[in-house]
Amino acid sequence: MRLLGKGRAGSTPLKSRMLQDRDKLEMHGVVNATTRFESLFRECLRIRLVEEKIIELYPSDRIQSPVHLSIGQEAIAVGTCETLRRTDLIFATYRSHAFYLAKGGDLKRMFAELYGRVDGLAKGKAGSMHLAAPDVGMMGSSAVVGTNLPHAAGAALAARNRGTDQVMVCAFGDGATEQGVYHETLNFVSLMQLPVILLCENNGLAVHASQQERQSYNIAAHARCYGIETTVLDEGYDLMRVADTMGSLIGATRGDRKPRFIEIKTFRYKEHVGPGDDYDAGYRSRADLQAWQAHDALVQDRALAERLRPELEREIAAAVAFAEASPLPGRAELLSDVI
Amino acid sequence: MLAASKTYRTALFNAMNSALANHAHTVIIGQGVTDHKGIFGTTTGLADKYGRHRVIETPLAEESIAGVCVGAALNGLYPINTHIRADFSLLAFNQIINLAAKYKYMFGGLFEVPMLLRLVIGRSWGQGAQHSQSLQSLFAHIPGLTVIMPSTPESIEASYDWAVSRHCGPVISLEHRLMYELAFVDGGWGSHRGTTPFSSRLVREGKDVTIVATSIMVLEAMRAAEFLANHGVDCEVIDLHCISHPDKDLILRSLKRTGRLLVADTSWPAFGVAAEICRLVAETDPRLLARPAVTLGMQPASCPTAKALEDLFYPDLAQLVEAIVRLTRGENAGIPLPDHRSMTDFYKAFKGPF
Repeated sequence: MRLLGKGRAGSTPLKSRMLQDRDKLEMHGVVNATTRFESLFRECLRIRLVEEKIIELYPSDRIQSPVHLSIGQEAIAVGTCETLRRTDLIFATYRSHAFYLAKGGDLKRMFAELYGRVDGLAKGKAGSMHLAAPDVGMMGSSAVVGTNLPHAAGAALAARNRGTDQVMVCAFGDGATEQGVYHETLNFVSLMQLPVILLCENNGLAVHASQQERQSYNIAAHARCYGIETTVLDEGYDLMRVADTMGSLIGATRGDRKPRFIEIKTFRYKEHVGPGDDYDAGYRSRADLQAWQAHDALVQDRALAERLRPELEREIAAAVAFAEASPLPGRAELLSDVI
Repeated sequence: MLAASKTYRTALFNAMNSALANHAHTVIIGQGVTDHKGIFGTTTGLADKYGRHRVIETPLAEESIAGVCVGAALNGLYPINTHIRADFSLLAFNQIINLAAKYKYMFGGLFEVPMLLRLVIGRSWGQGAQHSQSLQSLFAHIPGLTVIMPSTPESIEASYDWAVSRHCGPVISLEHRLMYELAFVDGGWGSHRGTTPFSSRLVREGKDVTIVATSIMVLEAMRAAEFLANHGVDCEVIDLHCISHPDKDLILRSLKRTGRLLVADTSWPAFGVAAEICRLVAETDPRLLARPAVTLGMQPASCPTAKALEDLFYPDLAQLVEAIVRLTRGENAGIPLPDHRSMTDFYKAFKGPF
């Protein structure tokens, strides 16, 4: 996490002074906090720049898949994955570029997948909506809302039976809470006391319908009815708070093997599907966006973003080049992996 | 010397017990698996023997339980999910079709979801529209699923062992309630086995007609064949068994010899197994058929409850024999028909052995 490498110590008076300052600050927990923030910020920025690259490329039709962009919601994925171990499993949704990257999914293979190329993570069979990287615990993403909920429960059941210390995270939107399987899953994980974090990314929208149009209940109050410890975080833009909160929930579940529920309020900057904005469509206003962006570190901390940007852009350009160079899949791929 | 006999139910119990005993990560999960009836006696006592963490009673929540099985399989368990009526699995169609069937392909082979779903076709008397359906063709339609219909104790034990220890994907097995108490000598059809336990198998050789049958209709076909053997009609019977991946060559080779096809399925012929077998023949070589194919299944209605209607809804042995006679000997062949008697009455009273 530390960006100030220890190898630099003592080579010049200036650097020595910096290190002395850092040591002093570390005693007060400040430098660690700064570098940790920068690391989390960098990961969020990386995801946003990836998606901005997707937006830039989209009109060319080289990306042959519908895209549901995470822009605005990155802090949740990054704050969650900071604490998760590689062996912890996350089950995500069709809006999961952020979770895939934050959990450690390979960027090159993601772009190749979006391009529908054979070097894509699923040889072009997945596209944007079904990202997965089991080697780092990203266990897939479903395009049918709410369907991943019982998967996390089942994986937790397996962890229980096999005696592993894994923690499962199931990410879902506020819309998923309307599904029947949501009730079934909350009942099951509470009944069986399974090590799952149920993570509700509440952006207030299901496609274009507001929560008020869809829900007769309060999400957190409803979740508490199952006897599941429930947390609400309104400041989904606050990277450090998200990371701290998720860190403590994951730690608690790792210890006591009990399910936990968290609802984090967030904001979807882009249209439901596709690369554009649709603030002219009438279902929400640009002022809502601006109010959220006023707290968005990626928007506000321009100096830090500009400092980190060149290196990230180089990585992204290399991933795009990798995708463009990859061959198209063919008949061999069409009928493999069926059974 | 009297050969040992075994019931279908005993074979199911043995298969469940072996799966738990031989594979530490197997779990049996479903409504009623821990109760005193234990899915018609096929899981009775296993919760006490192996623990309730491995034989797991569930809420009435078919969709999530199917999803729990997917998630459990993704993290190293082998789940066996029971549905005491196949009809209830319709609640889990989303997980079975959108997730379990696709998890391997959709992610380019990154995952496998080995699991077994046991669906009991509840047919006996008076089960009505929602407790008796044979849904094999709905599942077999979906790439990614392997659908089997074991017709004998031998097939149950071999197929379930193969599913648990060798097969990497989701398997859906439809068990027929009417067969549970039937005792079979040598586990079933003697030495007639397929290439793998999931393969279709030739269970009776004959030269006059090829009967492709599923589940309990294999038994009916064998009864019809025995009856007709006394009247000079020689039936070949193929136990289709693997509904999703039938042995096409076995069927075509047989048709080359007999030139006549009768498909007897436990479900509706339209868009189902019967239609599919006819498609295979029509697309490959329709000239193999000397006469138009004949299909036998349920009437095109929901299953009625009243026995008087139910007896008309399902084909009986007399109808099967009549269809074979017409196909092989034409009208007025002078062969007497067995009495019209419902299959349910017969199998309820029948003590075997087959």
